[in-house]
Amino acid sequence: MPILVLLVLLAQNFTQRGFVETQGIAYPQEAINDDTHVIGEVRIRYEGFYKPSGRFQIAGALDLRGDTHEQTERVLRLDWDDRGRQRPMLSLQRLSAQYYRGGLAVEAGKQLVRWGRTDIVNPTDRFAPQDSLTVVDNDFLAIYAVRATYERGSDTIDVVWSPRLTPSRIPLLYQRWFIPPEGAPSFALERDIPDGSQSGIRWSHVGSVEFAAAFYSGFNNLPSFQITPGSPVVRETYPELRMFGGDIGVPLRLVSIKGEAAYFDSPDHTSDNYVLYVIQLERQAGEWFFVGGYGGEAITERGTQAADFNPVRGLTRTILARAGYTIDTNRSVAFETAVRENFDGLWAKAEYSQAFGQHWRLTTGFTLIRGKATDFLGQYNRNSHAVLAVKYSF
Amino acid sequence: MNRIRTLCGIVTFVTLCATALAQDPRAIIKEAQDRANSTSQRYEGTLKVIDGTNKVTEKRWNFERIGSHGNSKSILRFSAPAEVKGVALLVVNHPDRSSDQWMWTPAIGRERRIALQDRSQRFFGTDFSFEDLEERDTDQFDFRLLAEEPLEGEVCWKIESKPRQGKVSQYTHSHVWVRKDNYVVVQIENFKKDELIRRAKYTNIQRVQNIWTAQNIEMFDSGRKSRTILTIDKLQYNLPMKDENFTIQAMRREP
Repeated sequence: MPILVLLVLLAQNFTQRGFVETQGIAYPQEAINDDTHVIGEVRIRYEGFYKPSGRFQIAGALDLRGDTHEQTERVLRLDWDDRGRQRPMLSLQRLSAQYYRGGLAVEAGKQLVRWGRTDIVNPTDRFAPQDSLTVVDNDFLAIYAVRATYERGSDTIDVVWSPRLTPSRIPLLYQRWFIPPEGAPSFALERDIPDGSQSGIRWSHVGSVEFAAAFYSGFNNLPSFQITPGSPVVRETYPELRMFGGDIGVPLRLVSIKGEAAYFDSPDHTSDNYVLYVIQLERQAGEWFFVGGYGGEAITERGTQAADFNPVRGLTRTILARAGYTIDTNRSVAFETAVRENFDGLWAKAEYSQAFGQHWRLTTGFTLIRGKATDFLGQYNRNSHAVLAVKYSF
Repeated sequence: MNRIRTLCGIVTFVTLCATALAQDPRAIIKEAQDRANSTSQRYEGTLKVIDGTNKVTEKRWNFERIGSHGNSKSILRFSAPAEVKGVALLVVNHPDRSSDQWMWTPAIGRERRIALQDRSQRFFGTDFSFEDLEERDTDQFDFRLLAEEPLEGEVCWKIESKPRQGKVSQYTHSHVWVRKDNYVVVQIENFKKDELIRRAKYTNIQRVQNIWTAQNIEMFDSGRKSRTILTIDKLQYNLPMKDENFTIQAMRREP
């Protein structure tokens, strides 16, 4: 009986949600290093929230994944870190405790931390590593962190400390999203993930104009590559990084303007010092929404690295656009494109999505990639693909 | 004789005052809002979206509000369907200007401000627009009494409201029907010039904690020929709530 009472009490304060998603991806063309045409993926996400009191909450989330192309590990173990090259089969996506009192909220544990305001590229979003195994369709990875937020009136201070770096997941060697340098001999990648913490602070203001200023000190979650002549090993490093940035949102009569910019400084001079900026306009009209913008970059100092992998920088000097149309309550279409200003690269995506009943959604789409091999987007010109996904949410 | 004259005078004066008050459309709307006023409100809403082909989609949300009419804050959080569970809208109403609105989408971990020019959009596939979810403060509108007419068997005042200069609205004017017996708003028709855009019908009116409240709100979108019926359950007024639970940070807390 006491157990029953306890279960009833727990149930009153416990909520859950999740989904099961399967998707098939078809690549019409073979890549230089990958002749697979069709990949199947499955993902099960379960999230639970327990709120024992009005000021305290525990949140947890688990992912169980699998695929036909060994992008996911084939070992069933609970991966607490999610720092591997492959996606873990079973991973902890969130486990955090939140306490809030007055305007103060503190969350400690594994969590998703997002900064920034713009929609397509976020230069200030430094605590959000990405799963970029498929470069143009990426997910965010959770990190271990302590986050304190204090909100008073129109202003909010957000302080984040993370004890260690969670690197972004980059394309796997010998798979189509890794483009081997032309004429390069075969090599092995040796990973060098730094110890040490990351920290940052962001002040944001809401009003008729919204803006924020942010500072980050830590490491780049995207790698640079160091090559030693004659060595078959390429070192994958994560350089120190400082970021000074800000964002702004200005609602005007016809459109909303959003902007985000950041200066990146490499204290150890291994990577470039540069400025990234994005400016975008957005507008809704009838059942349509439109977002259009430009992402730019200005390098102030070259670093010593031989190369790097940086999709955020790769999407700069680019005109970006997104449009969506809601057909009815259950159906929608969306279009997204990025075109390099010199027309050396093009990425365009069209997607149709339809919900069935309370739980099911089917999404299908096609991504077209064209361009020159020397361009960040253009180099994936054999990776145009079609996707069919079925999702059951609960 | 003098007493009778005095009494008659008082009765006439009170009657004239009451009539004058009753004929002042601003006072009628104000009285309707005052009678519905509470320090806080909570309910569970079930929405049936019925499109032009009679296909029905169901959604559910939990609603909480703190503060008096026109100067309140509310959070509306979807609990169904499963794929939008946790999506939330924070509305901060101001007595002197349009509300501020932010939407939280857990799947992307970001909140988004709903710009003024985007408030005419449908809210999450329902027939309510973002603007329809904000409270209308009387100081932001001009009113004109159009008629006294019955609506579904109840005698009502039919009042025209026009947004004042500076108030951003998708509607050029609205017609509001207020029941004469209990000052409950039973219908609002919203127009853009002469075209009817949306009609809200308030039915199943019950007295909850001494406040006459419609338990069903049907919003009809004349352009799409679709309608959404909001059914209110577990309605409670004047609950102890904290201001700190109606902020952007609070909206981000899940679920």
